Amino acid sequence: MSALVELVDLEKTYPVGGSTFYALRGVSLQVQRGDFVAIMGPSGSGKSTLLHLTGGLDRPTAGRVRVGEHWLQQMNESELARFRRANIGFVFQFFHLIDNLTVQANVELPALLLEKKNKKAIRQRSTALLERLGIAAQAHKHPWELSGGQQQRVAIARALINSPTLLLGDEPTGNLDSASGQEVLHILEEFNALGQTILMVTHDAVAASRARHVLFIRDGLLVDALPGGDAQRIARRVTELQ
Amino acid sequence: MDAIWLKIKADLRSRRLVAALITLTIAAASMLLTLALATLVNMDAPYERTFEALNGAHLWLYFDRQLVRRRDIERIAALPEVVQSTGVQYSVNSRVRIGNTRVWVSLRAIPESMEDWPVNRLWIEQGRGLQRGQLEALAGKDLNDLYHLQVGDRIGITRADGKQVELPVIGLAYNPMWDTYRNTQPPYVYLSEDTLRALYPEQESWDRSLGLRLADPEATQAVLTQIEAMLRPDTLVTHTDWHDVRRAAVFGARINFIFLGAFSLFAIVAAVLVITNNISSTVLAQFRQIGVLKAVGFAPGQIVLLYVGEYVVLAAIGTPIGLAAGIVLSPLPLKNVAASLSATFRPPWNLALVAAVLTAVPLIVILATLTSAYRGARANIIKAMAVGAEPPRHRPSLPMRLATALGLPMTWLLGLNDVFARPWRSFLTTLNLALGVIGIVFGLTLSETLDTYRNDPSLLGVVYDAVVTRGQTGDAQTRHLLSRSPDVEAFYGQVMVDVETADGRSFQVRAVEGNLAAFPFRITQGRFFAPGSDEAIAGQGLLDWLGLSIGDLISVQIKGEHGVPVTWRIVGQYPEPVNTGQMLMVNLSSLARRLKEPQPRTYYLKLSANADTARLKKYLEPRPDADLNLALVGQAIPGVVIYLQMAIFALAAVVIGIALVNVFNTSLLTVHEKMRTVGMLKTVGMTPAQVITMIGAAAGFLGVLATLAGVPAGFALTRTLLATFSKAYGFGQVQVVLNPLYALGLLPLMVAVSVLGSWLPGRRAAGISIVDVLRHE
Repeated sequence: MSALVELVDLEKTYPVGGSTFYALRGVSLQVQRGDFVAIMGPSGSGKSTLLHLTGGLDRPTAGRVRVGEHWLQQMNESELARFRRANIGFVFQFFHLIDNLTVQANVELPALLLEKKNKKAIRQRSTALLERLGIAAQAHKHPWELSGGQQQRVAIARALINSPTLLLGDEPTGNLDSASGQEVLHILEEFNALGQTILMVTHDAVAASRARHVLFIRDGLLVDALPGGDAQRIARRVTELQ
Repeated sequence: MDAIWLKIKADLRSRRLVAALITLTIAAASMLLTLALATLVNMDAPYERTFEALNGAHLWLYFDRQLVRRRDIERIAALPEVVQSTGVQYSVNSRVRIGNTRVWVSLRAIPESMEDWPVNRLWIEQGRGLQRGQLEALAGKDLNDLYHLQVGDRIGITRADGKQVELPVIGLAYNPMWDTYRNTQPPYVYLSEDTLRALYPEQESWDRSLGLRLADPEATQAVLTQIEAMLRPDTLVTHTDWHDVRRAAVFGARINFIFLGAFSLFAIVAAVLVITNNISSTVLAQFRQIGVLKAVGFAPGQIVLLYVGEYVVLAAIGTPIGLAAGIVLSPLPLKNVAASLSATFRPPWNLALVAAVLTAVPLIVILATLTSAYRGARANIIKAMAVGAEPPRHRPSLPMRLATALGLPMTWLLGLNDVFARPWRSFLTTLNLALGVIGIVFGLTLSETLDTYRNDPSLLGVVYDAVVTRGQTGDAQTRHLLSRSPDVEAFYGQVMVDVETADGRSFQVRAVEGNLAAFPFRITQGRFFAPGSDEAIAGQGLLDWLGLSIGDLISVQIKGEHGVPVTWRIVGQYPEPVNTGQMLMVNLSSLARRLKEPQPRTYYLKLSANADTARLKKYLEPRPDADLNLALVGQAIPGVVIYLQMAIFALAAVVIGIALVNVFNTSLLTVHEKMRTVGMLKTVGMTPAQVITMIGAAAGFLGVLATLAGVPAGFALTRTLLATFSKAYGFGQVQVVLNPLYALGLLPLMVAVSVLGSWLPGRRAAGISIVDVLRHE
C-alpha cells in the first residue's frame, strides 16, 4: 500500500457501431505519493481515458483502481462524487469554469460542497490560493473576463482548494499560449515541490519534461517510461512511438 | 437556403425531445385557443340564434276565454303585419305535484308533429318530444331549474273530476317566448291536445292565446295597439313582447357571459403567453449556437429565417393536432355552456374558427420567434459564444446575497444563482407558472365565495326557510294555522304587485306584512323600512336600472289602475335574489287600499330551531288535494353557476398542466445548456442527488415567485370579475372570500409542480456521463 495510486489490469472498451473499441487493454501502474507523472501518447492512445478512470470520472470495463485507501470500482455514483470532492483535483484543457460564478466563487465551490459550515476558513484558503497564483485582483470578475492563462490558474486554484490527495491534469497547457503554458507548469512544479502528487496527460514534450516521470502509452498499453527533465529525448521517443 | 434547411433538419433531429415538447406546447395552446374561440362562438347572440332557429313568435297574446271569438283570432292572423301565426293555443292553469311540492303550471296543448308547428317551435334540450297517442308530458326547462324536475320523473295532475293522474316527463323544452320576468305566466308543461282534453274535457274552460310572427320584428307595439283597437275591451288580458323576453334572457345569462368571457379571454392570453414563453426560452437557450452560426458565416437574416423556419415546422405539426383535439373535446364543456345560455350548441366546425386557429397560432409562433431570433441575430458573436443570451451579473443580486447570508446549502445557492443569472428566461417561466396560480385562485375564490353564499343564503337575500301558498283558504285562516304551528317561529305575507314608472318601465313590488323583524334581512346600504311607513327598500338592480339612490322618492302606477301614483322613499338597499335585483319591497299597508286583492297569497316562514318539516307538511297539507301548499327553500345558488365553477377549475387544471410541461421544457433546455457546467460540478464532487436538488431548487424558487405574484393577481382578477357580475346581477356588493390557508397551501403545491416539472430533467442531468461531456468539448 505504499503507492498512492494503483491501477491494476485496467481495461476500457467502447462500442463503436457493431464492433468494440479498446481504449485501454490491461494497464497496470503505480504512482508514488509526491510524484509528478506525465503521460504522453498520440491521439486516441487512451491517455485521457486513463486519467478519467484514475479520477473516478468513468468506470473501467475490467481491472481495479485504487487511490489512497479507496478502491473506486466498489463505489456507487454518490460515493464516487464524495471521493472526488475530497481526494481529487482536476485541471482541464478547456478550464471548465462556471460562467455565472465569480472567480472566487468558482474556486470555493468544491470546498463549499465538502465543508458546509466553515465558510470563513474556505474564504481564507481561496484568497491565499488566488494570491499565490497571482490572480487575487481578479477574484470578483467572471471567467469570461479573464485571459486563458488566468482562467487556467483559476482552475488550478479550484483543483487545489480541498488539498486533494491527487491532482489530475488533462492537457492543462493545451489551450494556452507558450508563456501562459510555462506559467501553469511552473505553478504545478511549485505545488509538487510542496508534496502535491500530480498525474498529467499531455501532447507536449516540453510540458512532460517538467514532470519527474514520463510514461508513454500507445493503443491502450503503457509501452515505455523515462525520467523527466530532457524534453528533446522525450520528443524523440514520442516520434519513435508514432 | 439549403444551409438553413439543412440546419433546421439537423436541429429537429438532434433535439427530438425538446422539439416534441414544443410541439406539445403548441398543440396544447392551440387546443386552448380552439376551446376559447368555440366558447365565444357559442356565446354569440344565443337568444337571437335560438329564436331564429325555432322561428319564434314576436308577439304572444293572452285572451279572456269568455270574450275572445274565433273571428277575432282570424282577423288578427290576417293583419298585413303578421307573417305567420301559431293559431289558437289552448291551455289550462293547474297545480301539479312535482315530488313533494305542488306547483302552479300552465298545461299547454301543442301539436304532436313539427310540420303542424310553423311558429315558435320548442327546443328539446333533454329527452324527446311528445308522441302521438301517448299520455305523457314535456316540461319547460324552468321546472328543472326551479324544482329539479328530470326526464323520467312523474308529475301528478288533478283532473277536472278531482282524480289524480300521473304523467311521465319525457323531455325538457325551451320556449323562446316564456318570459322569465315581467310575466304572470307560471312555468309551462306541454301536453298533446288529446291529453289536455282527457284531463279537462270542457273546452270552454281552456284559456286561449295566440303567437304572431311579424314582418317587422320591431313593430310589436304598433301591432299591439292595432289589435287592441280591433278587439272589444278586456278581450286581450296580457301579452308578451319578444323584446322583453330577449332582455330577460340576456339579463339571466349575463353571469354566464361574464364567466365565460373571462374564461375565453384568460385562455387566449394564456395560449399566447405559453407559446411566446416557450419559444423565447428555447431560442435564448441557443444563443451560444447562434454565435457559432454567425461565426461560420450565417447572416443575421439567415439566423432569423433559420429559427422562424424551425418553429413554423413545429407549429405546422402542433397546430392542427391542437385544433383537432379542441374540436373533438369541445362538445364536452360547450354543450352545457350553450344549454346554460338557452341556445343550441354550435360545433366549432366552422371555417372562420378553423382559419383563425390555423392562422393565429403560427403567427404567434412567428412573432415570438422573430423577437428572440432578431435579438440573437444582432448579438455580438464573441459575447454570444462566451456567455449566451444573458451575461452574468457583475454583482450577485440582492436575493442571492440574502440567500448566501441565510446560509442556504450550496446546491440551493447554485440553483438560485441560475435563476438570477438568466432573469429574462426566469421571468418567462415564472409568468407561465403564475398563470396556473391565477387559474387556481380564480377557481378557489369563486368556489369559496359560492360556499359562503350557500352557507348563508341571507347574503343572497333568501331569508326564509319555507314558502306557503294558498288557494281557496282565506288569509285569516292561513295566518291562524301558521301561528298555531310549533314548527313555525315567524312568518310574513307577501303580495306581488306589478307597477310601472311614468316612463313606462315596469317591475314588481314585494308588498309585505307580518313579523318582519324575526327575519334576518340583510341591508347592504341604508336601513330597513319602518313598519307602517311609506318607505321602501330596493334591489341594486332596480337602483341601477332607474338611476336612483337611497333617499330618493320613487313614484309608480299600479298596473291596471289609472289613479294617483303611489310614492315611496327608498331608505335602504337589499340583495334581491330574483329578477336581476329589479324589485322593491314595501309595507303592504302603504298600498293595500289600492289593490283589488290586498290579501297575501304567499307567506314566507322562518321555521323554529327543532322544526319537523314532515310534520309541518302534513299539518298544512293533510290531503293530496289540500289547498295550502308548502315548499321548503331549495338550493339558493343556480345550478349553472356550479357548472361554471367546475369549468373554471377545469381551465385551471389545463393551465397548470401547460405550466408543468413548460417547467419541464425550460428545465430540460437549461439542463441541455448547462451540460458542461453540470459535468464540471460532478467532476468537483457534486453527487447525483445534489444535481437534482440544484435544478429542483431553481424550479422550486420560480414556483414560490409565481405563487407570490399569482395569488394577489388571481384574487384581484376574481374580485373585479365578481364585482362586475354582482352589479349586473343586481346583488350589490359581493363578499369575495379566499381562505388564507388555501392561498398558503398553493405555495407548496406550486413548488411541488415546479420541482416535479424539473425532476426528470434533473435526473437526466444527474445521470450524464462526465466523460461524454468532456469529450464533446
